[in-house]
Amino acid sequence: MKVSIEWLRDYVNFDLEPKKIAEILSMSGTSVERIIEQNVGVSGVVVARVVHLFPHPNTSNLKVAKVDDGERLREIVCGAPNLREGMLTALALPGARIQGFGSPIECASIRGVKSDGMLLSPSELGLSEDASTIAEIAGKVSPGERIENVVPFKDAILELEITPNRPDCMAIVGIAREISALLDVDLKMPVATFEETGPDINNLIAIEIQDKQGCPRYTARAVTDVRILPSPLWMQRRISACGLRPINNVVDITNYILLELGQPLHAFDLQLISGRKIIVRKARYGETITTLDGIERQLDSQTLLIADIEKPIAMAGVMGGENTEVTAATRNVVIESAHFDATSIFLTSKRLGIRTEASSRFERGTDPEGTAYAARRAASLMKQLAQGDIAKGEIDIYSRPWQEREIKLRGKKISVVLGIDIPAEKTRRVLERLGARVEGNDDLMVAAPSYRGDLEREIDLIEEIARIYGYDKIEDTLPPGGGIASGITRTQILTETLLDTLVAQGLTEVITYSFMRVSDLDIMRVPPEHVLRRIPVLLNPLSEAGEAVRTTLLPGILRVAQINQSRGIRSLALFEKGRVFYLDGESSVINEKDSLCIFLSGNVAPPSWIEEDRQCDFFDMKGLIENSFEFIGVRDLRFEKGSFPWLLEGRSASVLVGSREIGYAGQILPEIGESFDLDGEIYVAEMLIDWLADMPGETVQYRDVGRFPGVKLDIAILIDKSIEAGRVLSAILDSGAKHLRNVRLFDVYEGERIPEGKKSLAFSLEFASVRRTLTEDEAFLEVKKIIRVLQEKFGAVLRGKTPGAGENL
Amino acid sequence: MKEIERLKDISKGRDDLEQLLNNTLDIIKACEDLESVTKARISILGKKGTVAGIFKKIPEFPYKDRPLLGEFGNLLKKVAEQELDSKEKQIRAAIREKKLAGLAIDVTLPGRGKPLGRRHILNMTIREIVSIFLSLGYRVIHGPEVELDYYNFEALNTPTYHPARSLQDTFYFKRDDPVKDSRDDVLLRTHTSPVQVRVMESTKPPLYVISPGKAYRRDEIDATHSAVFHQVEGFAVDRGITMGDLKGTLEVFAKKLFGEEKSVRFRPHFFPFTEPSAEVDVSCFACDTAGCSLCKGVGWLEIMGCGMIDPNVFSYVGYDPEEYQGFAFGMGVERIAMMKHGIDDMRLFYENDVRFLRQFHV
Ligand SMILES: [Zn+2]
Repeated sequence: MKVSIEWLRDYVNFDLEPKKIAEILSMSGTSVERIIEQNVGVSGVVVARVVHLFPHPNTSNLKVAKVDDGERLREIVCGAPNLREGMLTALALPGARIQGFGSPIECASIRGVKSDGMLLSPSELGLSEDASTIAEIAGKVSPGERIENVVPFKDAILELEITPNRPDCMAIVGIAREISALLDVDLKMPVATFEETGPDINNLIAIEIQDKQGCPRYTARAVTDVRILPSPLWMQRRISACGLRPINNVVDITNYILLELGQPLHAFDLQLISGRKIIVRKARYGETITTLDGIERQLDSQTLLIADIEKPIAMAGVMGGENTEVTAATRNVVIESAHFDATSIFLTSKRLGIRTEASSRFERGTDPEGTAYAARRAASLMKQLAQGDIAKGEIDIYSRPWQEREIKLRGKKISVVLGIDIPAEKTRRVLERLGARVEGNDDLMVAAPSYRGDLEREIDLIEEIARIYGYDKIEDTLPPGGGIASGITRTQILTETLLDTLVAQGLTEVITYSFMRVSDLDIMRVPPEHVLRRIPVLLNPLSEAGEAVRTTLLPGILRVAQINQSRGIRSLALFEKGRVFYLDGESSVINEKDSLCIFLSGNVAPPSWIEEDRQCDFFDMKGLIENSFEFIGVRDLRFEKGSFPWLLEGRSASVLVGSREIGYAGQILPEIGESFDLDGEIYVAEMLIDWLADMPGETVQYRDVGRFPGVKLDIAILIDKSIEAGRVLSAILDSGAKHLRNVRLFDVYEGERIPEGKKSLAFSLEFASVRRTLTEDEAFLEVKKIIRVLQEKFGAVLRGKTPGAGENL
Repeated sequence: MKEIERLKDISKGRDDLEQLLNNTLDIIKACEDLESVTKARISILGKKGTVAGIFKKIPEFPYKDRPLLGEFGNLLKKVAEQELDSKEKQIRAAIREKKLAGLAIDVTLPGRGKPLGRRHILNMTIREIVSIFLSLGYRVIHGPEVELDYYNFEALNTPTYHPARSLQDTFYFKRDDPVKDSRDDVLLRTHTSPVQVRVMESTKPPLYVISPGKAYRRDEIDATHSAVFHQVEGFAVDRGITMGDLKGTLEVFAKKLFGEEKSVRFRPHFFPFTEPSAEVDVSCFACDTAGCSLCKGVGWLEIMGCGMIDPNVFSYVGYDPEEYQGFAFGMGVERIAMMKHGIDDMRLFYENDVRFLRQFHV
């Protein structure tokens, strides 16, 4: 909201720089976003009356005006459409200086006629954006008056952010009240007194409230015989400065009061109200209204309506209708000053997607007690500025009167919450300045004013006191704390460490949006009944790309890879840890779990002067998963041949921990890579890591690693190609060989030197005892055992001789 | 060396001795490698060498000259030994030096091995924030990203038509069974604050909790908005916690995170679930409160929202607001990372260009 400081000073006295007052407001909760300094420098401009108009002799587009500048008559050439005899306007005398004009105004000849000065538009005067007309000056002003005395040119506009709990601050008077409390000075409310010179209002209009829920109060005033004119420049300037567009005096007055008091008003042309009756009711199905912005709107039965006996004439609290608009032809006006139900207006405005100055105030809650005052204020201004006669009396239908609430405020509670003592006198004064009624001494009874619906409880009052007293006066302390469980849990440590080991192995963490498009699963060839298809779909997504939350991290990480590849980065080692979401079976419960996705492509390391380039492969993926899980103490991690629709058959594995399948690892199908605009061999893995929470929290018990050197023996065996190395390794470990400390597979060979359908596996076996040095012979005996097991289990044939094994084998 | 002086003395006026001395010294001087030293040693000190030659010749001289010649021979032997040893040492040193020089490498060549990866800058930022609160005795608790309306709004004192809801546009989930009660609506949490309610519901005070995580708003994605973003929530509930404690805690935090030289201020604000509420500003990094383009002339940068937990929230979780008080705060991780590192576009975090990610370090 925009607030003019010049206008503020009508209600509260202060002598502070705009920057200072902005800071004071900001530090009390009314955040000042921007200060717009206005300082239109003007000299040599006076008020002038247009006495006579002549056609320009040489063109039909221009006229020659004889104007009275207070001393003499001058001839001025001008083309403004609103030029008319008798009007008061702004005249720049020759030599006048106006900010924005490079040089002083001079006498100039326009199409053969000498112009003795220049008539100015509102835009040239810095009052509004209107550059097509000349400024109209209303009110009791005489020709010759210096324009600076009629319009204040120096002002500062504060752009405020009003929090939703403070509708009272969406008004100049509301901000003035804040300043009055903050500076501890008096607030002067605008006057609204007048003589009623018109007919009885009840002879002019009747009001009927059918929806009392939607409209707890409706106040109406009528003004007859108004003269529709431009409003005075000072009013136009204030309205423009606060962001509204001046229209005519009657409409401007309603807007002026909306800005001043925060009470939205509407003025109807009385002549255009059928049956001289205003009805407040819900709209009927199929009804339409063309609002003041020229748009025809379909109404629904939720919308609160202002109607006459025939037709809708306004959308209550949102916008008026074109059919009863105040125009140049209007003579008699009905002023509506109502209190509408905040929720009803909020929902209507949301449903129809219209937010206006009126609706944004009603939806937050206007002052139920303020309607009659605002109507009086409007009537008095219409009498003053539009020479109208104010009808006798008002119509005020107040079906649900506001009730004053008394709130108990304990002096002690203030210090218990804030941690400081505030003098009771200060407390009382702050609350009174804010408009509350206060009784008592130490413990107070406080009645909040009607415009502060947000003050309901003791804590609300404490906040007010702290806010006005100043948060900076609250002393900084630290909470008692101590003796409580703090820190991070074991699961959090395991997870963070797991990710850190991935980083230590060269992987870079990425974070992608948690959304997914369902068609990504089609690209991944995920079959219909697959668990990844239990997708929680959003009701109101932003786009198709975000139609659901993800059941897998894979599409997200593939897109990250694509972005990087498209920028020339082809060697990528990435991971993401994030939540995945599944619908839980039949029910609509959504489960969420932490998942870990890994992506590898291109070279293992950047090209180097010392090492050969090497493409990453499945075993890079496997190795880094093994390393990371080993580092956090996961014992029984296994890879088994697995089949996943998005992975290359034969290069894909299930990843298991014990008997729990946690995910997969493998090479992605080239066609799927292509669908994501990726090329080259791509290895991916995705594993749930929610089970880390169930990992037993064991403490490692020390094991004697032995001081005696071991015996290392190498063996190579021939077996069928189809037998998995992992099975052979397990068989060796389970062979029952004594003292076997370590087994390492160091060579795999298939090819010319061995028979078709066979492969050679070479193992390095280490035997050692923690008690003594083993002899080679002892080790040979154990190797024999192992070989026998391998022969029996796999039909393995020993290749060559084991060193030192002799004839015994 | 006095031996040399004596040798020169003795050989003075005797050309044969003088020549002998000079020859010997010259031979040693001319040695350039170990081989020539060995040769010189043999030719000077060997059985048929120079020194032996002198002693062999002594009997041919008159008696009176013999002691002097003997002395000359002994001294020459001593001097030659010394000179040869020192020469040999010199040569060995030179050889060693040469050998070591051959081992020299260009230490400015790049190191071997593959570079380490990086944690994402947002997670590094979270870690930094969390570690400060860990040092203040807080514990980390994570909450679900899919939430019920009840936890996200209602129990945080934001009833259905509360104006605060117009500030947050929320992602809701589609469901087949119609929801009877809007509190059962399932949504993506719009802030991390529901964790407050979940923790308080299940745990008795004292509570000192920090909760980082993702949150979601229906914002079109641009340089300063993201439909997915990260927050760190924190709260403390205990007997006798005051607004002063809130200020003190966040002052300590902000100075640790942004630098001890920064100023911190608390500006009243509105949040439905805290009262009194505040926004926390730190003095602008670029201008230190003077006002510049970074802070849009304000001189301060907003870093988080906070406040005393509203008694209504306590009543939802069954705490007695007369017995316990507490404070809560929440901050946007993207915003803090952007301020700290001068990042001007939020989309960079989610684009994940590895060159962008790899420039940050702990
Ligand atoms: Zn700055």
